[in-house]
Amino acid sequence: MQDPTILILASLADGDKHGYAIMEDILVFAGIRLGPGTLYGAICRLEERGWIRAVKSESRRQPYRITAEGSQHLKEQLALLGQVVRTGNRRVREA
Amino acid sequence: MRTLIRWAAGLYPARWRNRYAAEFDALLDDISPSLGDLCNVLGHAMRVRATTHIDACLVPTLASPMTLRMPLVVSMSAHALMITLVLCAALGYVTPMPLPLAAAPLPPPAPDPPPQVTDVRVFPNALTSYSSLPLGEGAPGDSVRLYVADGVGINFPSLPDIGAVFWRGDAEWRVWPGQALESFIVRRVLPKYPRGTNARGAVSVFVEYLVMRDGSVRILRTSGPAPFTSTARSAIEQWVYRPLEYENRPCQVVSRVEVRFDSEFANSDTSL
Repeated sequence: MQDPTILILASLADGDKHGYAIMEDILVFAGIRLGPGTLYGAICRLEERGWIRAVKSESRRQPYRITAEGSQHLKEQLALLGQVVRTGNRRVREA
Repeated sequence: MRTLIRWAAGLYPARWRNRYAAEFDALLDDISPSLGDLCNVLGHAMRVRATTHIDACLVPTLASPMTLRMPLVVSMSAHALMITLVLCAALGYVTPMPLPLAAAPLPPPAPDPPPQVTDVRVFPNALTSYSSLPLGEGAPGDSVRLYVADGVGINFPSLPDIGAVFWRGDAEWRVWPGQALESFIVRRVLPKYPRGTNARGAVSVFVEYLVMRDGSVRILRTSGPAPFTSTARSAIEQWVYRPLEYENRPCQVVSRVEVRFDSEFANSDTSL
């Protein structure tokens, strides 16, 4: 679970956040600290794919919002991850 | 370090800088950047630059392939040189300090210190779960008391079977800790240190007793040297509780106490 794009989408699923808030949120719920380059690299990719969009703001701290497509992609990825977790757990128990 | 990262952010392509530079700058103001962050930004800036140039190469253009490749080669070489210089400078700057490349795991919380008996004159080596409370008859409102007489103290040991239920015929016995019974006590008689023993130092006697439905006490078991168990038994038999209830039903309760005798404090002025 190291993919920064999924982590960022999961963070934004809780509401709009700017870069630093996303970084802190991910640190809290996943225990992973994204570097600034990683964070903005992922934000750039997510924005290009239309999975997040910038929200109008007067502040230098630009908030982002997850789009419907981003939300759908997140659901798919989490479902896939859940399947991996269930299968892994079952195989570990049987081993 | 923040200045170095800002400089490194300048390596991003102009299109990226125009879009994200302001908020990236704000982010740098919010965090405490480390050498790891500098490497992170440098790496990503290089990756974005390389990708941008390659993308540009893929765009159909009238320029020759060599013309397109030259900026990429020159740019990569120049940036490799700059990264080396920056890393050398940064390492020289931070070498005396531990490199905060990764967040160190938090140390485990320090375990609670074992409670200490507040009056070492009485039980110098005893560790009890309520000993931070004042000795003697506690102030009104104290939930737990430590009873101390002339060389004699009563402790409530922890019970491994708290809450267990036993049936004796039709009678239901519930195991409760002594602390839980404290609010029901009506009369307590403290044992006297038995005279004529040759015991030296501390002696512990454990007494298991049953609080009957009417609040009287019946001794079930004792353990310890005979003269001490008999004096503990005769004192505890005189204890009286208010009738106990569990879920609005009268019940009989089993509990245990530890009676500690210490010859060092018998007949001394330590009674409180």
